[in-house]
Amino acid sequence: MDVLVQGVGDFRFTEPDAIRAWMRERKRREFVDKTLTAAEAVRRFVADRDYVSFDFSSFTRGPLVLIREIIRQQRRNLWYCAKFTLMESTLLVAAGCCSRIDVGFMGLGETLNREVEEGRVKVTEWTNGTLTLRHLAGGMGVPFLPTRALLGSDTLTYSGAKVVRDPFGGKPVALVPALNPDVGLIHVHQADIYGNARCFGPGVSPLETAMASRKVIISADEIIDHDDIRKDPGKTTIPYYMVDAVVYAPFGAYPGGVPGLYEMDFEHFAEYHTLERQGQLKTYLDKYIDSVASDQEMLEQRVGLARLNELRRRATIREGYR
Amino acid sequence: MTREFTEAEVMIALCARLLEDQKTAFIGFGMPQVAAILAQRIQAPQLVQVFEFGAIGPTPLTPFVRNTMGGPSNCYRSIAWTNMNTIFAQAQLGLIDYGVLGATQIDLYGNINSTMLGADYARPKKRFPGSGGANEVASYCWQTIIIMMHERRRFVPRVDFITSPGYLDGTPSARERAGLPAGTGPWRVVTSKALFGFDPDSRMMTLLGVLQGLPPEQVLAEMDFKPLVAAAVEELDPPSAQELRILREEIDPARTIIGRTGKV
Repeated sequence: MDVLVQGVGDFRFTEPDAIRAWMRERKRREFVDKTLTAAEAVRRFVADRDYVSFDFSSFTRGPLVLIREIIRQQRRNLWYCAKFTLMESTLLVAAGCCSRIDVGFMGLGETLNREVEEGRVKVTEWTNGTLTLRHLAGGMGVPFLPTRALLGSDTLTYSGAKVVRDPFGGKPVALVPALNPDVGLIHVHQADIYGNARCFGPGVSPLETAMASRKVIISADEIIDHDDIRKDPGKTTIPYYMVDAVVYAPFGAYPGGVPGLYEMDFEHFAEYHTLERQGQLKTYLDKYIDSVASDQEMLEQRVGLARLNELRRRATIREGYR
Repeated sequence: MTREFTEAEVMIALCARLLEDQKTAFIGFGMPQVAAILAQRIQAPQLVQVFEFGAIGPTPLTPFVRNTMGGPSNCYRSIAWTNMNTIFAQAQLGLIDYGVLGATQIDLYGNINSTMLGADYARPKKRFPGSGGANEVASYCWQTIIIMMHERRRFVPRVDFITSPGYLDGTPSARERAGLPAGTGPWRVVTSKALFGFDPDSRMMTLLGVLQGLPPEQVLAEMDFKPLVAAAVEELDPPSAQELRILREEIDPARTIIGRTGKV
């Protein structure tokens, strides 16, 4: 196939056979209890220079408990997949954890924009859809997938995509390389101790992210019996053998919401926005992450039971989320 | 009720009027969400909104809460909850009629920039969040509608960066030659002062209408290029009492979207 146009952006790519070998050797088929604390899961499964992907956003069912733990443990030089990101990519960069971003949609506020303008954070252009498509390719074990997005745009020029002539129909089509993140972070409504996981409501790419990632950490608002999974298998989003760690994390998506369980904390986001605009994200990071030992301590001491109960009360729409 | 209104209210009302009932519409973040709800409350109760995180056909609850992209009030009473790969596949397949997007910068041929300003990509003068899902929406949907503030710095002869494709360089079949789905492209640009389309031959942006009371010269003076001007420029009704009542009392009483711009 002739390459007609080639993007100049750097990208991560792994040969499908290397991924197959990893899946054969490292993904456990035995039913073992994978529950860990957030601290232990991040210590074991997130390393400096890892490529990190996640599901959904800091507004809705995002794995914020795990993001906070990564910041607390001061991981460095992460490459972050900002496919539908809002607050978390900004926090990771502000905390010095992340030096490269695949964009998507980069984040909330001006902090990240400034970091890019001043050359401290390197970006490769993609789109939300082509990043999820790259996860699909990575999760299918194929080297690339075709798309009719990106074509004609400068987004393509600064991506890692290639345009080829479709060998069947003869028209130009874009190919995006498979993406196999080192780490996938997914917050779910429910999981059993083995990692069978359920998330309710629409999602960005929970299953594709789990399939594509070498190491998968699930954080769950609720741990359920394995027998409950078997009683209603249509509700399983992610089967256990893709999952490396299960973190029990009530309010793990805070300050975002989890549909049907609790609403996002608008007051918290207002505080974040104020500090972000003032260039005071260090204050935010210190208050909610670095000065507390865990998410539980943060929820108890910085948020409080009254606020958490109020967020539960506000989650009045339950249809479809159980 | 006073008939003073904000620029956002103008953009939202003009956009909502374009959306026909029983069509599918890919809805972007912010103002497009409010415009789609307004259309549902007036002439298009069965407008099927779809979102990049996979919700199909919700009837979003009001009052509209800003930042609920994907949350329960945004996804309320949907037809289906899918995911990003599925919904973009459906758009790529040709099932989605309208795409409704905001934009930072646009040019004569409807190319959209939401990535960066400046001549050097490596050292942008100003960086923005990037495509999000806009590139897909602008590539796949049959008729793309762009909502933006009417400011000279936003209407430029050539965007610094084509984040999402319009008619590219304006040459015949430029989109098809690039490989984009045939018959797609920007259809309308809705601003706080005017409504534009695109000439079917030259693909140049064309002034179709101006807000009642505004001279077309004033609208054109606030653009950094000269669009074509339709033979008969329509006078656009300002937001009606009904539109304003629904916007202010039902959809956005906290004025999180409609109150973010100046008065007209």
